Amino acid sequence: MSEFFEMGGYGKYLWPAFALGFGIVVLNLVLAWSSLRNAETQARRRMEMKP
Amino acid sequence: MKTSSLSVARLIVLRDLRLAFRKPSQLIQPLMFFMIVATLFPLTLTPELSRLRDAAPGVLWVGALLSSLLALEFLFREDADDGTLEQFALSGQSLTWMLFAKTCTHWLLTGLPLALFAPIAAMLLGVPAQAVGGVLAALALGSFAMSLVGAIGAGLTLGARRGGVLLSLLTLPLAVPILVFGADATQRAIIGDPIGPPMYLLGAIAVLGITLSPLAAAAAVRIGLE
Amino acid sequence: MNWVWFHRFGSPPYVYGFARRWAPWFGAVAGLLMVVALYGGLVLAPADYQQKDAFRMMYVHAPSATMSLMVYSTLAVASAVGLIWRMKVAHAAAAACAPIGAWFTVATLGTGMLWGKPMWGTYWEWDPRLTSELVLLFLYFGYMGLRAAIEDPQKADKASALLAIVGAVNIPIIHYSVVWWNGLHQENSTKLGSDADMAWSMVWPLLLMLLAFALYFGAVFLIRLRAELLRRERNASWIREVLS
Repeated sequence: MSEFFEMGGYGKYLWPAFALGFGIVVLNLVLAWSSLRNAETQARRRMEMKP
Repeated sequence: MKTSSLSVARLIVLRDLRLAFRKPSQLIQPLMFFMIVATLFPLTLTPELSRLRDAAPGVLWVGALLSSLLALEFLFREDADDGTLEQFALSGQSLTWMLFAKTCTHWLLTGLPLALFAPIAAMLLGVPAQAVGGVLAALALGSFAMSLVGAIGAGLTLGARRGGVLLSLLTLPLAVPILVFGADATQRAIIGDPIGPPMYLLGAIAVLGITLSPLAAAAAVRIGLE
Repeated sequence: MNWVWFHRFGSPPYVYGFARRWAPWFGAVAGLLMVVALYGGLVLAPADYQQKDAFRMMYVHAPSATMSLMVYSTLAVASAVGLIWRMKVAHAAAAACAPIGAWFTVATLGTGMLWGKPMWGTYWEWDPRLTSELVLLFLYFGYMGLRAAIEDPQKADKASALLAIVGAVNIPIIHYSVVWWNGLHQENSTKLGSDADMAWSMVWPLLLMLLAFALYFGAVFLIRLRAELLRRERNASWIREVLS
């Protein structure tokens, strides 16, 4: 198991690389979702202002 | 009476030249900027000419690029502000051709003088005298390509706030090929190698620019004028 | 050829509904494929002869790089469609692509740096591919910067569309010039992940991960597209229905 984490000595580069790559994957999802929520709120507000 | 394309071009070139020479101080600025940049590098790197010679292509081209960007501000800005550009678009003549004429004139006023001055800057950076011809040729062709590429960005940023910085951000990535081949040509000139291959490539980029860039610039100006 | 489907995609409410329906599926399948591909790449695939276990970083670096370019192409095509057929939805699509592509580029550069350290001994090398990626990042920022700087939304759409197309024409030229430049000063010969003679057990996780990333892009893109459409349609009646 520890062999897996070591990755032949390259672990300290490999895991941060995957963390970065997939972290960005998650971040992008979160950002997109929050952008959508934002747009929905703004649209709702606009609907309310118009009778 | 239909005006021929050639007379349209002549009119625009003469007009722009006349307007530019009314404010000679404005003409000198890009040139001075280039000289200052060329001076700053030795001040920040080293006074040793042999080491400066290694950095010379980079310094000359970065300086030329930055100076070009400064000068591009003047390509369309004044004409856009006083409505002349709109008149061009409405005139029924080919806007593409007119903007090409303007870009060529702009190069005559900014890029060409820079190329002619470059030998002086080059010698300040330790470039041997026999390389000076190659330096001049490369910068002349490269700055022409740069004006063409820059015209697109200048057209696009006409309607934007703080267009100057944005213009640089847009134009520099597109100018990478000009930089790479131009600097290579300069480097070859310095070490005495034939400058053919990169010059041809630079020429190819310039030709591509001549065919595509005025079209794109005209489209950009039209979008901005809507 | 029935072009009705194409014209349907010109209608914002139709696209909005399509996006809302399909984004979750794209996302779910993408997630599943990522897990399988990760398992295949990190556990099942044997260690590389030259790079040992370090080559496994390819499974996150290569898909990011491919996507950074694919997203730009999508952006450019959407821009062209928007300009030629004057489709608002196409412009919205281009705008939606940009931040996603920029992040893929950042991921490529970051993972490239982390892969480079054990392989080249240094975090950065001016090799052609990484250098081109860096210029691509600048192109993305230029695009997003131009969009942000123009007030009028329609002008912003058209101007940035033009920029995207000019950039797209330039990318091969830029890449070629960078390859030329790199060839002049060739010092390192180890490319990041030379893919000559890779065993199938190494290849299939890569292909699967690529597919996963593409589907993932689809999901995120559809979400962002929904947001763009909501912002652009201002007070259209279909929005009222959709929000209730």
